[in-house]
Amino acid sequence: MHFRLKQRSVLPGFNLALGYTLLYMGLIVLIPLSAAFIKTTDLNWTEFWAIVTTPRVLASYRLTFGASLLAALINTGTGLMIAWVLVRYSFPGKRLVDAMIDLPFALPTAVAGIALTALYSGNGWIGGKLALIGIKVAFTPLGVVVALVFISLPFVIRTVQPVLEDLEAEVEEAAACLGATRWQTFRWIIFPAVRPALLTGFTLAFARCIGEYGSVIFIAGNLPMVSEITPLLIVTKLEQYDYRGATAIAVVMLVISFLLLLLINLLQWWSRRRHAA
Amino acid sequence: MSIAIRALSKRFGHFTALDSIDLDINAGELVALLGPSGCGKTTLLRIIAGLENADAGAIQFNGEETAHRPVRDRKVGFVFQHYALFQHMTVFENVAFGLQVRPRARRPSAPQIRAKVEELLSLIQLDWLADRYPSQLSGGQRQRIALARALAVEPQVLLLDEPFGALDTKVRKELRRWLRRLHDELHMTSVFVTHDQEEALEVADRIVVMNHGRIEQIGSPQEVYDTPATPFVYQFLGHINLFHGRAHSGWVRLGELRVQAPEYQHAESAPATAYVRPHDIDLLREPEDGDTTIAATINRVHILGSLVRLELRQQADGEIAEVEMTRDRYAADPLQVGDAVFAKPRQLRVFLNDGQNPERSELPLWSGDGDGI
Repeated sequence: MHFRLKQRSVLPGFNLALGYTLLYMGLIVLIPLSAAFIKTTDLNWTEFWAIVTTPRVLASYRLTFGASLLAALINTGTGLMIAWVLVRYSFPGKRLVDAMIDLPFALPTAVAGIALTALYSGNGWIGGKLALIGIKVAFTPLGVVVALVFISLPFVIRTVQPVLEDLEAEVEEAAACLGATRWQTFRWIIFPAVRPALLTGFTLAFARCIGEYGSVIFIAGNLPMVSEITPLLIVTKLEQYDYRGATAIAVVMLVISFLLLLLINLLQWWSRRRHAA
Repeated sequence: MSIAIRALSKRFGHFTALDSIDLDINAGELVALLGPSGCGKTTLLRIIAGLENADAGAIQFNGEETAHRPVRDRKVGFVFQHYALFQHMTVFENVAFGLQVRPRARRPSAPQIRAKVEELLSLIQLDWLADRYPSQLSGGQRQRIALARALAVEPQVLLLDEPFGALDTKVRKELRRWLRRLHDELHMTSVFVTHDQEEALEVADRIVVMNHGRIEQIGSPQEVYDTPATPFVYQFLGHINLFHGRAHSGWVRLGELRVQAPEYQHAESAPATAYVRPHDIDLLREPEDGDTTIAATINRVHILGSLVRLELRQQADGEIAEVEMTRDRYAADPLQVGDAVFAKPRQLRVFLNDGQNPERSELPLWSGDGDGI
């Protein structure tokens, strides 16, 4: 079979660039991740299965992936709205708000976690008021969602913003002239245009949430079976020098994350193909 | 549907886009709003559509006030310069959009929509493109699709904002004729904005010439070209030569030239400018009696297809003037560079430099859009 690795291109530096990319990906991503897989081979299949399916571990998967999904979904909705407001309206302090959006990126996650815990705990500023109507945030799964929403806020906004900026106002005017209501214009004109960016933002936010550790452990309370996330479980095992157990759980997380991201990417690819011109 | 515009004004900050515009557009008429960029023509069109609000004044559709009617209830078809097609929809979906978004009670059934879209696509002769996406089409095709999309909702008025501005010359000329034919078939009240005088002269029933947010002249293409009401219209439509001089008791002296101007009977040595079209000048070999000619030498000869354009240098002051004639006339007496001639304006128009049109004195000698008439 004739296998063509390289296509002739007018763009220079293909060999060098590709080689560098592969080396970099290998050093930064592939080798550390495969190390986790190799470490798990210390375990046999039964041991591995026993470790990764204990009720406490299963509960942590549910919490990590469930809360991450929920937080990413919340941020997809609000992120779209915030991006819309920032692109379409001008108001005093707009630049300040725009700059504030990136703060969750810059803030040490532990700081975020402690601040959120102080705010949402039973005697906190917001938590105290919510407690009056019977909602408990800190030290519950809800607290986990709150922390994840905080740290994954910028993703959707920053991916959708440029797309909205590029969207011509004329297209919306055309829709209005054709008799479309504001909602119809959004549903049929604006939304399809930002959908790929929205999906990208969602994916990034989701991935970030799955891996989040620092901010969550402060607000979650870390009750086994209730508010304990998988990354914490891994750290706990490490602290007990149970390296094999830690890597086993890590591998499961890695596989699930990879499958989910692959699925979202396929969805993206499919949606782009369907609407691509 | 007729449109009546009354004392319409619009400002953007300190910039006056429209300054008390009054305009009547008759039902079934094709009107061109013509003017240089920044003259307010697009703003006027957008206010008619309801895409922009006026600061003062009124617009009536068939005698009915429109100020509080939102865009989507105005029944206007709007065609944008850059098409504004929905990129993620096929041609068919684009054209069907206006029908799809109707409230259920007024929405045609799916087969009715299909029939309507197919009818429109065959009207614009692009039925074979129904399943393509806009990015797969040429500019001319996109603009025709945009027009079909606007027509699908059966608007009462069709508004076109520089519809052919983004297209190349050949396609532009083709689409121009096509638009005129389409208008003759549909008889829909149409207003189109353009800065291209040739386009306006060729397509429109009536031309509204605008400048600095005001209307300079309204008239048929022939009227605005042959009898411009203001110096601005003169210089904007077609090419002109300027001759500077003075008006005095019904006569105007422009260098060696002396012409009668009964309208300036009471002028006393008032500075004046005469406007002459290049094709309104005869070139003679011998001077005529009675100060009717200007002595000049041929400076340059351009043969431009069916036309010959000659550049003259006036002997008195060295100013350049241009003359256009047909190839046939040129062939009868082929003047050469350096030949001495006597230019005799067949038709000219004198305006006083009374400060009412301050830009007049700064008019370039040879002006117009460059496209030529």
